[in-house]
Amino acid sequence: MDKKYWQSFGELNNTEAFQQSAKDEFREELPFEADDKGLLEAKTPRRDFLKYLGFSTAAAAVAASCEVPVKKAIPFANKPEDIVPGVANYYATTYVQDGEAVSVLAKVRDGRPIKIEGNELSPITKGGTSARVQASVLDLYDTARLRFPTIDGKEVTFDAFDKAVSEAIGSGPAVILTSTIVSPSTKEVINQFIAKHPGSRQVTYDAVSYSGMLLANEATYGKRAIPSYRFDNAKVIVSLGADFLGTWLSPIEFAKQYSKGKKIDEKKPEMSKHIHFESVASLTGSNADEKFLHRPSETGAIAVALLNAINGQAVNISDAKLKAGVEKAAKALAANKGEALVVCGSNDVNVQIVVNAINEALQANGKTIDWSSTYNSFQGIDADFAKLVDDMNAGSVSTLLVYGANPVYTWYDSKKVVDGLKKVKNTISFNAKNDETTQLCKYVIPDHHYLESWGDAEPKTGYYSLLQPTIYPLFKTRQWQDSLLKWSGATTDYLAFLKGYWSTKVGGETGWDKALQDGVINPATLPAAAGATFNSSAVATAANNIASAKKGGKIELQLYQKVAIGGGQQASNPWLQELPDPITRATWDNYVIISPALARTLLNIDLNDNGQADAYEVNPPKKMVKVTVNGKSIVLPSLIIPGTHPDTIGIAVGYGRAKEIGKAVEGTGQNAYPLASLNGNVVSFTAADAQIEATGDTYKIAVTQTHGGYDTKQGKRTEVMKELTLSHFQAEPAEIREDREKELAPFGGLEKFEKEGTIYPYYEKPGIHWGMSVDLNTCTGCAACVVACHAENNVPVVGKPEVMRFHDMHWLRIDRYYSGDVDNPNVVFQPMMCQHCDNAPCENVCPVGATNHSSEGLNQMTYNRCIGTRYCANNCPYKVRRFNWADYTGADSFPDNQRDVLNDVVMNMNDDLTRMVLNPDVTVRSRGVIEKCSFCVQRLQEGKLKAKKESRPLKSGENNEWDVKTACQQACPTDAIVFGNANDKHSAITITREENKLRTFFSLEQLHVLPNVNYLAKVRNIEEGAEAKKEEKEHA
Amino acid sequence: MHLKYESQLREPLVYGSKTYHDVTEDIVRPIEAKPSKLWYIGFYIAIALLLFGVYSLYRDVTYGIGQWNLNKTIGWGWDITNFVWWVGIGHAGTLISAILLLFRQGWRTGVNRAAEAMTIFAVMCAGQFPIWHMGRVWMAFFVLPYANTRGPVWVNFNSPLLWDVFAISTYFTVSLLFWYSGLLPDMATIRDRAFTKLRKRLYGIASFGWNGSTKHWQRHESLALVLAGLSTPLVLSVHTIVSFDFATSVIPGWHTTIFPPYFVAGAVFSGFAMVQSLMVIVRKVFGMEDYITMGHIEAMNKVIVLTGSIVGVAYLTELFMGWYSQNKYEGYTFWYSRANLFSPYGWSYWGMMACNVLSPQIFWFRKMRRNLFVTFFMSVIVNIGMWFERFVIIVTSLYRDYLPSSWAVYYSPTIWEIGFYLGTFGLFFTCFFLFAKYFPVIAIAEIKYVLKTSGESFKDDMDKQELMKAEEFAHEYAH
Repeated sequence: MDKKYWQSFGELNNTEAFQQSAKDEFREELPFEADDKGLLEAKTPRRDFLKYLGFSTAAAAVAASCEVPVKKAIPFANKPEDIVPGVANYYATTYVQDGEAVSVLAKVRDGRPIKIEGNELSPITKGGTSARVQASVLDLYDTARLRFPTIDGKEVTFDAFDKAVSEAIGSGPAVILTSTIVSPSTKEVINQFIAKHPGSRQVTYDAVSYSGMLLANEATYGKRAIPSYRFDNAKVIVSLGADFLGTWLSPIEFAKQYSKGKKIDEKKPEMSKHIHFESVASLTGSNADEKFLHRPSETGAIAVALLNAINGQAVNISDAKLKAGVEKAAKALAANKGEALVVCGSNDVNVQIVVNAINEALQANGKTIDWSSTYNSFQGIDADFAKLVDDMNAGSVSTLLVYGANPVYTWYDSKKVVDGLKKVKNTISFNAKNDETTQLCKYVIPDHHYLESWGDAEPKTGYYSLLQPTIYPLFKTRQWQDSLLKWSGATTDYLAFLKGYWSTKVGGETGWDKALQDGVINPATLPAAAGATFNSSAVATAANNIASAKKGGKIELQLYQKVAIGGGQQASNPWLQELPDPITRATWDNYVIISPALARTLLNIDLNDNGQADAYEVNPPKKMVKVTVNGKSIVLPSLIIPGTHPDTIGIAVGYGRAKEIGKAVEGTGQNAYPLASLNGNVVSFTAADAQIEATGDTYKIAVTQTHGGYDTKQGKRTEVMKELTLSHFQAEPAEIREDREKELAPFGGLEKFEKEGTIYPYYEKPGIHWGMSVDLNTCTGCAACVVACHAENNVPVVGKPEVMRFHDMHWLRIDRYYSGDVDNPNVVFQPMMCQHCDNAPCENVCPVGATNHSSEGLNQMTYNRCIGTRYCANNCPYKVRRFNWADYTGADSFPDNQRDVLNDVVMNMNDDLTRMVLNPDVTVRSRGVIEKCSFCVQRLQEGKLKAKKESRPLKSGENNEWDVKTACQQACPTDAIVFGNANDKHSAITITREENKLRTFFSLEQLHVLPNVNYLAKVRNIEEGAEAKKEEKEHA
Repeated sequence: MHLKYESQLREPLVYGSKTYHDVTEDIVRPIEAKPSKLWYIGFYIAIALLLFGVYSLYRDVTYGIGQWNLNKTIGWGWDITNFVWWVGIGHAGTLISAILLLFRQGWRTGVNRAAEAMTIFAVMCAGQFPIWHMGRVWMAFFVLPYANTRGPVWVNFNSPLLWDVFAISTYFTVSLLFWYSGLLPDMATIRDRAFTKLRKRLYGIASFGWNGSTKHWQRHESLALVLAGLSTPLVLSVHTIVSFDFATSVIPGWHTTIFPPYFVAGAVFSGFAMVQSLMVIVRKVFGMEDYITMGHIEAMNKVIVLTGSIVGVAYLTELFMGWYSQNKYEGYTFWYSRANLFSPYGWSYWGMMACNVLSPQIFWFRKMRRNLFVTFFMSVIVNIGMWFERFVIIVTSLYRDYLPSSWAVYYSPTIWEIGFYLGTFGLFFTCFFLFAKYFPVIAIAEIKYVLKTSGESFKDDMDKQELMKAEEFAHEYAH
């Protein structure tokens, strides 16, 4: 019998499971070899896979389709005349800020002015602009502008306002307090008003006045006027503290003239020489070939010594360095009589008289000093205003009309102005903002912004510039001329008045239209330089007065104006507040500038000590100091700025404004005007005796550049920056090129470096290849380009708390490097923007390919592809890439993510009103993406289209014809930036590179990143250097 | 009698006279018992840290990376430092499991399970950083090369960050598979012992129907070998590729050809230190002293002193090259920004040197290697040192690179940056506590595998045979 033993029911019944488990119990051949069956026969066939894939994708898509807020754009029902969507209109008008008038073009898109550009028809600026001019368009959209007329703070209609004012002032006398009026027609309007109100007068008050010069010229030339200066005719320029490239008189014009002497012809290298004497480091002083430091109280003595030295007498100055400087300056000046110029920034009449005598001795009169045309920009005499304040306090002023002037803020004795204003029965302000003075006025009828205004200006006698509105007034504002006309009983409005004023002069309606279109009315022929009779009788007295002037105490104070903020008129402009000061690289604050020497004794910080210098540089909190002058104190943080006299401290005016004038000024610095004083007829912005003490507190300053030198213990980084002296350049013109050749020799040398410096294949670059050249010799560091870039490219403003964290977004920055002596170093400025490397290190590291290279050599950012790994920014050797750390633009889809995180300034920049300034051609970047200089790609596209429509090759500078100009290039007053198609042998960029072969270098060339931006080396006109260099070579 | 014979000179890998059953009991006990008070405290702390991390990330995603103190010059700081740190830690597990498996190092069995788990959790933590450091994390999927309708938009295969995506995801996948396939027999053991329905069901699912058949074991071991073979190059490649993030760049201090081996050595170094930290605690808390022996600890300390010295040599080589190359940019980075104690970040460099190079030298002494307190202390020191190393590489290179004009202000993290880091600790320990509670922290099956050759009791049995003469031995055992 076949008996079956079984262990489980499974075995008994021989179930399938049992069979399987029995099979599984033992080892098997592993099926590592592919079986014959294809994929289709597999357990989970491809079809199922696709089904599941499709389903899950669809489900994910449905789940992800969250509701997105709908924004409506409503098209025009009828096409407005003159507006072609996407095409900008340009209107010639004039930037007017107090007495400063600059001819400009306003770029208007869809009825909104969005960008200011220089007017090339103006013989004064020749198309140049400044940071403040560039920024002025943002003032139009300032949310803090007054929006309607008020009486005692209550809104009224224009009619009610006019009625109330007429009743209040009747035909009684009034004082019209203005900043300098450069408009001839407005002067007429004022005269009409005065005629209707007998006993009235106009008082001109400039916050930072040129009274000293005006009075000195009156004493020596018999004219209370300021002549034209011709820096372009000067081979030797000596400046006694005049910041003529930054803030003094007419900086755009002077920068243009000055750059002429700094342009170098390599075949015959020659340059003008600029010797600068100053107390606190300034933009102009930083550009000087040689700079000597002195106390502010010594300015007069230096002027006298200079005059004596030119006349062959001994120099009586105890400080050896300074004495040598004066002798050197005198020698250079005397050797170039008729081609020399001395300017002085002092507001002291005596000093200016002596300076006039120097210029006379140098035969500058009629050559570098041109009396054929005088400046109208600054007409105020401080004594006039001082008298008005007295009158007001005496109660003899019943009606005060204020336009432009803001003495409550800017007058040194503010309290007296406030007290005086209280005694004036009728106070009427035309100011556009609720500024410090306007706040104390009963009647307020805000004026238009200049971009909403009609008008004219005569910055220099005989040179006119017209204003026309570029936008309908945004608010219920009225031009102040209209108000004056109305209150004078005139029936015409100002436009009619203006037309009437001009039409006969320019030849009727057609002439007017043409003038309006050009924006400028120039003399038929530009007058030759002319002199004026010099009367030397005042010179001896002036010299005596200087000799007996009060000597300085231990520490002296110099108040100065910053390039961006000036006297404070545009202080509420976020672009200007965020603009790093060219010298200190600080934003959003004023501070006490102290020298490295003073820092050693006062703050115990020794910049020569690496550890201490590091600690000072990397930490934003800076030590606070208390400065006391004449019993008035001010507590401010300190910044150590090389190139400042050891016994002098500097404080910028224009800060500490009332918060009513805009979000941007809240908490920015302290008002330094009270530290000024009235010295006879003029306000003195220096104090001979100031006390300074460290308070022990610190304050964070938002600085955008922490380190100034490019010389390290491990070697001088000459690949970054190249500079040399003129005599050196003359002796060995090819040295820079040879150095480059030597550096690149192991990798093929200059010529073959591009191909042999890499293991990758070389590609031809046909068609357009964009390139830029920046001449470091003519770049003055004025920062007009930085603001132009802000405006053109919608670069976000991030506010002080963010700048402090090194989050500033500037696409273009101006690096400032020191070399040499820490107490009085050489300074060089290097505009730094994306170098558009042909072998860009940023491009290959992006995991998603969001940044890549165009066939035209542009390094492009694709914002909507960017995921924000910041790898590109890390790998950029120039550190020009900027990351959107927060929702700076309000472009994010996360709601409410600015509140409590970003400051009021950013919030204000995202106000619907402020956003009107955005350039519609440029994407507004959202949070989390990288951005950087695009070479103004929107302009390039426009230029290419234009050339294409006209069926011709694009022109970039051929015969000075331009289809494309980048915003920075256009803004530059010295034409330091040249841009164009480097593959076009007629383009300006090609010619510039060809003509400046010896000075051309690429920053960090040795990295083989192949930048498309080149620099031209800085050359200083000093004798030293050649010898030392030769010795160095012999040693080597 | 087992046929394998191991020398008496070798330290036993398992102490005590244990049977297979004892092993199972010892290891499964914590899973079947209620967690201790200590476990709850630890777990809740971990959860709290995790939640803080989640909140920190919420702020980061909602308000932007500006919640962190990174800036225009220092684009990476704590985020990528922590990333590299965690990835480094995630190296030990696979090294122990894979490379030591291939090298037939029996001692790995005591620690491999926990080390592998640690690897997986560490890689999970590491992965958080490159993801959440993105400015637009909701677009993170752009890094995946998927077919799309955006035209010829593709990922950039030139970018080391993209290589990272592949390297880390591959490593994670393989490590996870390796770990889990090793868990299968142990899961089945727990299933078979389960006395609650739920446990039986869950461990049943988790054990994938393991029935201990020869075929299962055969496949299991083959798979282990295959995965070990796959993992071995990965151990070397992952950190090599992470080092490429820096080595292929142009930044002085990053652009260094020595990075791949130096990073791998550093990763093994920090990974072993982390294993030590955890093992010293686990063996104490779970009473596993018999399984994780002093011998294990000593072996790992030897690896620590070896790899620590390798990174030390790398540091010195870098310094030497900084001088020898006469490259002024590298010279500045290495000799000023790093080696100069009085430069702003000098402290981090010397912190790194002290923790990574100097202090591990203590393990040249056997007494120290076998001292639990020293081991634990050193394991923490080493991980602090390795964090410094990544911080030094990333921050001190970036903050002062080519153009002196862009040299940065001092960078220190915000609370949210720290929060993110703490959050990953939360994630790590939350996972680890859950692992310790629900998974066998020591590979039961593998311990049993070495028990009869290297267990103490079996070695004791051998004493008898040791004394036998050869003929006697042959007579006794030959048949």
